[in-house]
Amino acid sequence: MSAHDQNSSVVKKFQQKYWRTKQTLIKVSGRKEDEHVVASDAELDGKLEVFHSIQRTCMELLKVTEQYQRRICNFSQEENELGVFLRAQGSRDKTRAGKIMQATGKALCFSSQQRLSLRNPLCRLYQEVETFRYRAISDTWLTVNHMEQSRTEYRGALLWMKDVSQELDPDTHKQMEKFRKVQAQVRSTKTSFDKLKNDVCQKVDLLGASRCNLLSHVLTTPATPIWMLPRNRAELRCFSLLLCRQTRPGRG
Amino acid sequence: MAYAYLFKYIIIGDTGVGKSCLLLQFTDKRFQPVHDLTIGVEFGARMITIDGKQIKLQIWDTAGQESFRSITRSYYRGAAGALLVYDITRRDTFNHLTTWLEDARQHSNSNMVIMLIGNKSDLESRREVKKEEGEAFAREHGLIFMETSAKTASNVEEAFINTAKEIYEKIQEGVFDINNEANGIKIGPQHPTTNSTLSGSQGGQHAGGGCC
Ligand SMILES: Nc1nc2c(ncn2[C@@H]2O[C@H](COP(=O)(O)OP(=O)(O)O)[C@@H](O)[C@H]2O)c(=O)[nH]1
Ligand SMILES: [Mg+2]
Repeated sequence: MSAHDQNSSVVKKFQQKYWRTKQTLIKVSGRKEDEHVVASDAELDGKLEVFHSIQRTCMELLKVTEQYQRRICNFSQEENELGVFLRAQGSRDKTRAGKIMQATGKALCFSSQQRLSLRNPLCRLYQEVETFRYRAISDTWLTVNHMEQSRTEYRGALLWMKDVSQELDPDTHKQMEKFRKVQAQVRSTKTSFDKLKNDVCQKVDLLGASRCNLLSHVLTTPATPIWMLPRNRAELRCFSLLLCRQTRPGRG
Repeated sequence: MAYAYLFKYIIIGDTGVGKSCLLLQFTDKRFQPVHDLTIGVEFGARMITIDGKQIKLQIWDTAGQESFRSITRSYYRGAAGALLVYDITRRDTFNHLTTWLEDARQHSNSNMVIMLIGNKSDLESRREVKKEEGEAFAREHGLIFMETSAKTASNVEEAFINTAKEIYEKIQEGVFDINNEANGIKIGPQHPTTNSTLSGSQGGQHAGGGCC
């Protein structure tokens, strides 16, 4: 009796594996899946797209923030050097142009300091996005992976059910026994898939909302230095214009 | 149990319209407010008498959820009758009828008798689909129509039995080839015209035609 039970459970495991593998092959080889099964997961697949977009754009934001930060450093350094140079040259030139050169040099040095102060909020942004990616995204990613595994199990079980449904007669005991076995498998895989499907949808919604929160929080804080920058640029342009006008008559 | 004929029925329609409850009411004469979601298909059977003959109805209660659609299609094969069910309190289930009908016509034999059923007629206050609309749809597509309630059992017997009567009439008229099991009709063991090839090879002696 128990030997028979054991035997049939081994067979069942083997069959489960067979249909799961078949489903995996269909997925991996990109063969067309059952359109109705695919359609019934439309909401889930929509959420997954949102998830992948969050994942992708967060990586991009990190990369861009890093580059921006590095360029600010480089730029600030160059700016400072130019400022120092102008001031040095200006101090040797006793004409009006020399004064202007000194003033411009000073403005450039000041501006380079200001520019550098942008780095702090950028670093903060980087850290917060990185933490978000590390914690929230990877947590959702784990759930998505579980869900995909369970989806493969479920779709495999559906394939199996479709197969046994080709020949089904409720008055034939043997066929019914087999069908009940497959039905139980579909039921249990469906239960776990539906649960994980729901989890994924909720987590992605939450992820989207918390990213909104994160960005609106981080982006309002460093607003002040960003607003200061154009004013300095404007000043700088003003100086440069003056410089041009003043030097032109001298040449002429 | 001995029967003169066996008719295969299939119950189709959106999920939640009350297909499983209709079957339970017909076979067990009871209503179960909370019913497990049907996985693939469930079965029921009952004997009825038409024209003094015992007829066994073998009923296939299919899953309405979309993910089972391809699976349930294989159950249409060999059905003599279909109950196409919608829920009078949910307009969308009525709107999907055309799709169900196309599916049924495409995957079943052309003589299959289809009964259109507007279920949950006890929920008059929540009605979204007028009875006249159901009638009009049935008339337009050549179906029989009834409103039922699996809860109060109103018209449930009639729905199943009238479908059987229609099938029986078609047999009398010779529309159904009863020797071809693909039509969803089996002849019982004690029937006078029974011969040994019937239950064995599919198609019987009329199907092949030219072959010797
Ligand atoms: N009030 C009322 N509820 C019904 C009736 N038939 C089914 N229901 C309810 O509708 C829900 C779905 O029924 P079920 O038979 O599982 O639908 P199926 O998915 O089509 O098999 C259940 O909660 C039933 O209690 C009916 O005639 N009247
Ligand atoms: Mg059901």
